[in-house]
Amino acid sequence: MIVCIAVVGHQNNPLYIQSFTEADDALKLHHIVHCSLDVVDERVNNPKKSGPMINETFLGLLYPTENYKVYGYLTNTKVKFILVTTDLDVRDADVRNFFRRFHSAYLDAVSNPFHVPGKKITSKTFAERVSTIVKSVSFNTAG
Amino acid sequence: MEPDVSIETSSMIRIAVLPVGEIHLHLFRKYAGMLGRHHKIELSTITDFYKADQKSPFSQQPWESGSLRFKFIVGGSPPSPWEDFQSNRKIHGVIGICHCPSSPDLGSVAEQFAMACKGYSSSVVQRCFVFSPGDTQLADRNNNKNKLVLFPPADQRTQEIHLQTMMQEIAASLLMEFEKWVLRPESGGIILKTPLDSQASLSSEEVIKAKKRRLGRAQKTTGDYCLLAGSPVDANAHYSTALELARLTGDYFWYAGAMEGGVCALLMDKAVHRDPAIEEEVKYRYNSVIVHYRKSFIQDNAQRVSPLSFELEATLKLARFLCRRELAKEVVDLLTAAADGAKSLIDASDRLILYIEIARLYGTLGYHRKAAFFSRQVAQLYLQQENSLAAISAMQVLALTTKAYRVQSRASIPKDTGSCIGDNGKMNHELVVSLFESQWSTLQMVVLKEILLSAVRAGDPLAAWSAAARLLRSYYPLITPSGQNGLATALNNSAERLPSGTHCPDPALPFVRLHSFPLHPSQMDIIKRTPGRPDWWAGSAPSGPFIYTPFTKGDQTTTTKQDLVWVVGEPVQVLVELANPCGFDLLVNSIYLSVHSGNFDSFPITVTLPPNSSKVITLSGIPTKTGPVSIPGCIVHCFGVVTEHFFKDVDNLLLGAQQGLVISDPFRCCGSGNGKVKNTNVPSITVVPSLPLLVSRTVGGDGAVILYEGEIREVWISIANAGTVAVEQAHVSLSGKNQESVISIGSEALESALPLKPGAEVTIPVTLKAWQLGLADLDGSRPMKDSSSPMLLIHYAGPTENHREPPATTGLLPPGRRLVTPLNICVLQGLSFVKARLLSMEIPAHVGQISDNSTHTDRLVKMDPYRGSWGLRFLELELSNPTDVVFEVGVSVNLENVDQNSSEFDYPKTRIDRDYTARVLIPLEHFKLPILDGSFLVTNSKSNKKAEVNASIKDLISKIKVRWVSGRNSSGELHIKDATQAALQTSVMDVLLPDPLTFSFRLVDQVDQGQGRVLAHEMTPMEVMVRNNTKDLISMSLSITCRDVAGENCIEGTNSAVLWSGALSGMKVDVPPLEEIKHAFSLYFLVPGEYTLLAAAVIDDPNEILRARARSSSPDEPIFCRGPPYHVRKKLDKTEHVVMRNYS
Repeated sequence: MIVCIAVVGHQNNPLYIQSFTEADDALKLHHIVHCSLDVVDERVNNPKKSGPMINETFLGLLYPTENYKVYGYLTNTKVKFILVTTDLDVRDADVRNFFRRFHSAYLDAVSNPFHVPGKKITSKTFAERVSTIVKSVSFNTAG
Repeated sequence: MEPDVSIETSSMIRIAVLPVGEIHLHLFRKYAGMLGRHHKIELSTITDFYKADQKSPFSQQPWESGSLRFKFIVGGSPPSPWEDFQSNRKIHGVIGICHCPSSPDLGSVAEQFAMACKGYSSSVVQRCFVFSPGDTQLADRNNNKNKLVLFPPADQRTQEIHLQTMMQEIAASLLMEFEKWVLRPESGGIILKTPLDSQASLSSEEVIKAKKRRLGRAQKTTGDYCLLAGSPVDANAHYSTALELARLTGDYFWYAGAMEGGVCALLMDKAVHRDPAIEEEVKYRYNSVIVHYRKSFIQDNAQRVSPLSFELEATLKLARFLCRRELAKEVVDLLTAAADGAKSLIDASDRLILYIEIARLYGTLGYHRKAAFFSRQVAQLYLQQENSLAAISAMQVLALTTKAYRVQSRASIPKDTGSCIGDNGKMNHELVVSLFESQWSTLQMVVLKEILLSAVRAGDPLAAWSAAARLLRSYYPLITPSGQNGLATALNNSAERLPSGTHCPDPALPFVRLHSFPLHPSQMDIIKRTPGRPDWWAGSAPSGPFIYTPFTKGDQTTTTKQDLVWVVGEPVQVLVELANPCGFDLLVNSIYLSVHSGNFDSFPITVTLPPNSSKVITLSGIPTKTGPVSIPGCIVHCFGVVTEHFFKDVDNLLLGAQQGLVISDPFRCCGSGNGKVKNTNVPSITVVPSLPLLVSRTVGGDGAVILYEGEIREVWISIANAGTVAVEQAHVSLSGKNQESVISIGSEALESALPLKPGAEVTIPVTLKAWQLGLADLDGSRPMKDSSSPMLLIHYAGPTENHREPPATTGLLPPGRRLVTPLNICVLQGLSFVKARLLSMEIPAHVGQISDNSTHTDRLVKMDPYRGSWGLRFLELELSNPTDVVFEVGVSVNLENVDQNSSEFDYPKTRIDRDYTARVLIPLEHFKLPILDGSFLVTNSKSNKKAEVNASIKDLISKIKVRWVSGRNSSGELHIKDATQAALQTSVMDVLLPDPLTFSFRLVDQVDQGQGRVLAHEMTPMEVMVRNNTKDLISMSLSITCRDVAGENCIEGTNSAVLWSGALSGMKVDVPPLEEIKHAFSLYFLVPGEYTLLAAAVIDDPNEILRARARSSSPDEPIFCRGPPYHVRKKLDKTEHVVMRNYS
């Protein structure tokens, strides 16, 4: 199950962090998302491995930590999507598909003329849409 | 587990470094630091001390290239239970450090050292280094015996060499001890054990097992000693044997240990790190090491001891070996595995060390956030220990994380980044990033709270204060009012435990921003002096109302920025705005400008800010020395601690708030400002030496001078030098509106008083004439005195050279100053001018004798009856008095051209009561030019003529002055120019120019009969006089007619009443230029009564001037000149006389 999804701006500023757990672990998830930026930075700064997938937005598994796996996705505008999941056996294709849907939701949210780029995303519609996507995705069944 | 492990750790000889006797901590650290530089001793350098008693067991010792490595354990450490397993864990040597001056008794030093060494049973070499011994101690010969090594006082270099030599000696001794150990027969019977092996009771089975394993373990230990002795080849040989034996006996733990040693030997031997092949080899072997450590896990004693720490240590060693950005992924995997393993660790301190190492490795890798995360874990482990030392450690570790979380204390930011704001307010990249990352407020607040907690527990009030300040300043919008109160309490509590006047680099509240620099009051303007010019103020600082003019010279490079000039000893003010966005009353104990240039005394003030409020306050100070002044911020004493608040920090914050990066704009949420970011740059401020300072005041009060329109009054302005330098130059000028209203300035009074000493005063008179009010002024009920009054500008300067200044700067003139004194004039509506008219009055003259008083002028307008006033014109001014006072109007005419000594005469005064209208007549006589010449009339262009006319009108008007007097001391002049100009426009010619010919009649003088009697029935001899007023000869035909009262011609015609003799018509005469001719004739009047004599002439061949004067249009038109009529009154009796008439 997806426990947290985050949007991080191109200056590594958090734009949207939403956890989907009942437990009071917001701080922990914040830490996980924050730490994952190290890996994203490293992937972005050392792109030599990404020869064939030069335009690949999906960063794949960033790192496993404790009980979680952290996946990343980088848009062309250097906005990062971070996914934290407790599912340990996940197919990349499913995550990729999830990110694609999430990306379109994000695009709709920032296309709002009242949204100021670089500011936190406060749109309720976006939040609802994200939770719908998160609920509809279940990696475990795929695995 | 041990901190700071690496693969090479296996080859390091541990030496405990202990303080002996009384020694100050910082000296001990200094000596230990000196020692630390000798952590590697080349084998080639120790041959002098090396004595081979027997054949060395280290057959492959690389004497040329090898070296011994030391690891100094400062302060020592308790023996490790694992030192049999890894010989490098043993303390092989002890070095005591003694500072002789503080513990002079070497005997007791030796004793103490011996006591200290007892704790290190494994140590084989013990030395006590005694620094700075005195002569008596040097003389003592017992030292060698007591293992004391004296370092005589010497310079740093000599001591270093001495120390190195001693270390070489120690290295040689150690090497020899290792040889001894290796050569010691293994049959010593010691069974090498680890805590992993069961301790309690050895069952027979285990004894057998242990015996089997003993050989392999001994081989491994020998290998360890070979490594320590710096002989990797020998070590490798022993390790290979040990590996074989351990594998056979299933001694996985020792197998892994031997393998680890083997890797170390490999690296030592090859001494190349970046060789990929070796790297692969190391990786492969270490993975095997890790696997074998894991294999050696025994469930039986898992509660007590576990090889897990060795497994993790090996993981860390490999990670440290690989720790490069290119291999980040592998390292991260290793570290993740290590972090996962942490949960299984039994010992909390092991976990602590593990986290520390993981954090350090992540930091090395460039994963700062990860490093910060693990550092926080470390801090939490420390905090669990519940003692103040652990809390201090926690605090320090957390302080390391603050950089990654962008909440670092300003003390930890290097100084050079402080000036990263460019002049144009652009922020550099670093700042932008930090602003962006400052949004991880959830994490940041947690870190700061933990720092606060740990600092409180550690008893470090300053750190606590700093953390609370950062928390409150940065995250006040996210903290509830009660939480804010709690933080304020924490700040105050911390401050109570700090000495008063403690400085903290991190500011708390309030937010301080620069509001503005008030410009100099106009009384104190400073003007740059242009050297070598008498009007030094010209072209320098802007003298107009605009700060910037596009015409200012471009040679100054600093024109882009507003420059301020302050003067030594003169107080200045700066406005700053404070904001308290929190929910409590904020008492700022003192706030004053922070000046880093050291030439400014600032005055502190106390402010109280209510909750959620902002306030603009004035901070003042006095410059004390010349030079530039920089004001980066304010020093604030608030919550018991002194902090420096930088303006640019708040500017950045506001900029961030504008872009939505920062949570809140503290000023805006306090209701200050209108949402716009006001970026007040700190101008470059220069302090100049003392200057004179003039202050002015109007004698009789500084209130406005109330004047009626046109009123003339003298005011006295007193100017005093309030500065400390004499005024040597001063110049008075005018600016502003209505400058023409200042008639005269007694600037010579000021100039004569120069140099004006400090404290001296001079009074200058200024004559004012109130201007006319415009229509707009009349509308307003209240006259606007400020905007329309002229200003007196006094440019003044002190001596050109300041004697107190060093001669290097004498090329620069000290600036001058400008005193602006507004002449506050309040103009009331006075006499108002209604209209002007030109009236003409024609009074015929009487024929008689011409009186010779024509040049005499009088107060009264007098008509010379024998000349008449034909063509006399009056200027009639209609004046009304709308005021509530009485005006008296007098006309005076200034005559310059009539007679040469310019005389002025007045006509009687006309009184105009309030709310009445009166007319004043101004006779326009005495203005006629004596000669008609062509200069006026014959001009080429029309515009030129017009200009001439206007000029002559102006000239005419300027001679007429209409003055008024009201009450006792109000007097003034009426402004009639425009009105009269309009009235005169058409007929100025007639007023100014004489006719070409002047005719006059007179009776031929009869001496006995007296003057002017014309009797009827008597032949009356008369003369007509024709005067040529031009410069040319005029020939004409003259004719004379006589008319009676009815206007009938009485010379010709049917009933002529006058007989005549002589020629009366058609007389051809020539009049020479500017001459007069007379023509005599006689008339015989038959009927008494009044007659009018008229002379007329038709000019032959008139020239252009005459034509122009006669305004004839066609050139062949005859020019006809006519004289004024002359009256002749015939009486019957002989006492008839000509009456003089007065017109006034």
